[in-house]
Amino acid sequence: MKTPVLILLGALVAVQFAVLVGMINGKERILREGERVLFRTQPIDPHDPFQGRYVRLRFADDYVPLDPGETTGLNRRDTVYVTFATDTNSFVRFNGWRTAPPTSGAYLKTRYLGEHRNWNTGTRTSTADGFRVEIPFDRFYMDEAKAPLAEQAVRDATRGTNCWAAVRILNGKAVIEDVFVRGQSVRTLKRR
Amino acid sequence: MRKVSDGHRLWLMSELPVLEQAGVLQPETSDRIKNYYASNTRGGLHWAVVAFAVLGALLIGSGIILLFAHNWDTFTRPTRAVLSVCPLALGAALSAAAVLRNGGTAWREAAGLFHALAVGASIALIGQTYHLPSDMPDFLLTWALLVLPLPFLLRAGGASLVYLALACGWAFSAQDQYGQAVAFWPLLLPGVVWLARLIRADRQSAQTHVAFAGLMTALCVGTGAAFERTVPGLWIVAYSALLSGAGLFGLCLYGERDGWNNIPKTFGVLGMAVLAYLFTWSEMWRGIGWEHLRHQAQYRPWGAWADGGVTLALLAGWAVAAVRAFRRDSAETVTLAAFPVLATACFAFGSLTASAESLNALIFNAFLLGLGVMYIVLGCRNVKLRQLNGGMALVSLLLVTRFFDSHFDYLARGLVFIALGAVFLTVNLVMARRKKQKEAAL
Repeated sequence: MKTPVLILLGALVAVQFAVLVGMINGKERILREGERVLFRTQPIDPHDPFQGRYVRLRFADDYVPLDPGETTGLNRRDTVYVTFATDTNSFVRFNGWRTAPPTSGAYLKTRYLGEHRNWNTGTRTSTADGFRVEIPFDRFYMDEAKAPLAEQAVRDATRGTNCWAAVRILNGKAVIEDVFVRGQSVRTLKRR
Repeated sequence: MRKVSDGHRLWLMSELPVLEQAGVLQPETSDRIKNYYASNTRGGLHWAVVAFAVLGALLIGSGIILLFAHNWDTFTRPTRAVLSVCPLALGAALSAAAVLRNGGTAWREAAGLFHALAVGASIALIGQTYHLPSDMPDFLLTWALLVLPLPFLLRAGGASLVYLALACGWAFSAQDQYGQAVAFWPLLLPGVVWLARLIRADRQSAQTHVAFAGLMTALCVGTGAAFERTVPGLWIVAYSALLSGAGLFGLCLYGERDGWNNIPKTFGVLGMAVLAYLFTWSEMWRGIGWEHLRHQAQYRPWGAWADGGVTLALLAGWAVAAVRAFRRDSAETVTLAAFPVLATACFAFGSLTASAESLNALIFNAFLLGLGVMYIVLGCRNVKLRQLNGGMALVSLLLVTRFFDSHFDYLARGLVFIALGAVFLTVNLVMARRKKQKEAAL
């Protein structure tokens, strides 16, 4: 009775390890081989009971622009593949989308979150100018002593110009590499 | 084998010399009693050992999670990746040791609980190391699937409870994030299989009672989370069938026992009382039924079919339990069996007529009053203080609520209260007179 149970337990533990090692390997490969791009961001500092303190990242450019009158026919949470281009400061902006993975060039696999509306303060009207997408890297985990410092540093910096996230992207998947505030990595902030 | 607790044995041992001295027992009989209970006593320390082992595993597991959650950024990424799988390695080693050493309940429960928590800790740590996004349903589902076989392999109820908690957590987060959680039902199946095995092995064991409590909690919580709510008020029928079915199943399985010794009946009776109280409010019956189907973007077109299927399945379970329970012809069985019939009829009536709210509420006011009175009578007849107090509590709750309820006119409330008071006093007088007559006849 003991041997079959041990064999089954061994098989279960092997599956458990395989899943964890698969997760680690997938992310390591993206960090090794992925294309490095920068996203403008505004971090805030919450915490998670399992994973500790993290900096939550809000992205200003979280939408794909559409031509006037263009519609997507997508439903909320539909999978979408978005392509991007970099501006003169090397920051990323989404510029196109597909429902199937592009055969060439870098792209990000994400989900459709509904239309993006632009508010015109002059005319006090809002118009749809694209669609919002889920950013699949919204957390940057930090040492619990440094996370509040990062938040403070971000508060002192000007939104949209001095904070960015360095991200590696490979085959549509992304892993965040570092977050910078005024050019300084939040990892290098001094402990209190 | 039937075993008594150590506390009861000690009391009996202290009584034996007294009985011997009084001439009630012969010394030989007293010795035979001593010998019998020496081998038929449940170790008093047993559950304390299990409880301490489980608490220890729980605290160490949680401590390790918190320790890692500090996020030691002095470690390199590869070091942290290796550290991430350490909790799982430790959990696996403990489980293997429990199997190899043929560990007792305490060992297996502690190992199962620690292993189940360790899987979650390892996934969370990898998420922390690689800054994975907040995908709670995905995290909980991966964790649940990876711990699913643990209760069966280690015969550990704690791991099963962790699994059920994860399935419920998944149902809530999936409903929130994806807008549907139908997969909760297949996720619940291993919990049902685990309980069925325990019932077959020993339905009286504490492990079976704990598993029953876990599954009933998961069913009550998970049904609410997984329900699509496309048909307003359908939950009234579903929950009535679920709780009544549980109560009737408890009556089939454990008879008239109650409390901890009959978990399904306890859930059924308490749930029925809570639901019946909720149904005494007319708001509960407003805008219900197929006429008010929800079509907004967050409701799925197939939601009505999914909820309808779940409700039918629960009603089928209730019907089977009712047929089996009707072999014991008690007032409690009839009341439990009648509850979903009444709730379904009121739901159908409310669906057809907009003016049914007040009548449905009145019907359940009468039902709750009847339920309270039934338990008062049963409590008096069976000399069970728990039933008597429960009945009194139900009647008092109903009366206090209706006294302050502004939905009914002062005049109507006043007349009903006076009429009810008169009925209670009359019954009291009749009972007192009968008691006197009986005493005189004796």
